[in-house]
Amino acid sequence: MTAQIAERLHYLGEDVAMCTNPLDDYFAMRGVNSRFQSNCTALWRGYVGSWEIVDDRLYLVSLSGTIEGGADATLATIFPDFPDRVFAHWYSGTIRIPQGKQLEYVHMGYGSTFERDLLLDIERGLVVATRVRHNGTADSENAPEGYEVGAMTVFPRTSKGEGESA
Amino acid sequence: MIYLYWYLGIGVVVLAVVYGAHHLTKEKESDSLRELLEAVNPDRKKLSYRILNNIVAPVLAAMLVIAVWPLAVFMKVKEMFQKKESYVSPEEREFAVEREHLLERLTEQEIERREVVTDPLKAAPELPFGHLNAAWQEFLKGRAEGTELWSFSAQWQTTWGRKELRCGYVMVQDGAPSAHFLTVWKDIPDEADADANAGTKAARSDDIPRWLRKHAD
Repeated sequence: MTAQIAERLHYLGEDVAMCTNPLDDYFAMRGVNSRFQSNCTALWRGYVGSWEIVDDRLYLVSLSGTIEGGADATLATIFPDFPDRVFAHWYSGTIRIPQGKQLEYVHMGYGSTFERDLLLDIERGLVVATRVRHNGTADSENAPEGYEVGAMTVFPRTSKGEGESA
Repeated sequence: MIYLYWYLGIGVVVLAVVYGAHHLTKEKESDSLRELLEAVNPDRKKLSYRILNNIVAPVLAAMLVIAVWPLAVFMKVKEMFQKKESYVSPEEREFAVEREHLLERLTEQEIERREVVTDPLKAAPELPFGHLNAAWQEFLKGRAEGTELWSFSAQWQTTWGRKELRCGYVMVQDGAPSAHFLTVWKDIPDEADADANAGTKAARSDDIPRWLRKHAD
């Protein structure tokens, strides 16, 4: 397993990393497979979504990924009638936004820990609560800040059999 | 002395056979398994670990086989005659609505009225269940004559111990819930998670993202 590339969220005027995948719930609740194709070990879900919170509502505003067969996927690929903005009313759960310096790098999923987590509680696409979880203070002044993926293996576009390390 | 040479000589032959058999039959550690093991135990990447694991341990094992090769032969024969038990993964518990989860009996029209999605930015179809409307229509297709529709709310624990809240609507026939349609599917946070300000560096349920845990489930 490899640390996963985060989703992007535009929140309170800032672009931040979002360690939650609300679009996966859309596919799960429809009972269908997502049909995305993974092209590196840091992105098993096969896409990166850009999200936005406007008036306490969670929106998916763009999507970049590769669909089965190798074609590029956009928001219109999944929501043909809503190519610019999709209200994520299906999503209920907690969105995690890591903040501050990195406490520990974990090369698996969204496992790395940071000084704080901003947690947004969402009910059917609406932000109902905002919390901050304090996880500790980094030992070093030089500890990296911001979510990042340490390493990954990129698959050739035509085949997943052989890859190159990045 | 000649008996000792013979004993050690046979030991070397046994070692060669065991080593060869091991290399022919062992399964190669996959990249994903190696990465997982390295994530669980970061020491695996260290030079000291590699020296210990790849050089010191095999050399000691080889010396042990030469010294007590009759035991190695006995264990190999025993292994060959024992049936290798195939690993059976735990049966995945499949979520199903039960009678105690039922909340309220509703008509199709009542459900559709209460579930229309409206959005000021017009980023969802103004239909029952919005972007999930097609899935709702598909759900209704499977409805038999006389089947009731009920709302439900259920707390559910997956095979892997994760707690979830699932809400939605379910078909009920002769009092027995059957197919369901989900409107809420969320993790129930641990008590430690619920207290957002109680800082902890320990592993938490949301350290591994939900999509990954769903794959694992």
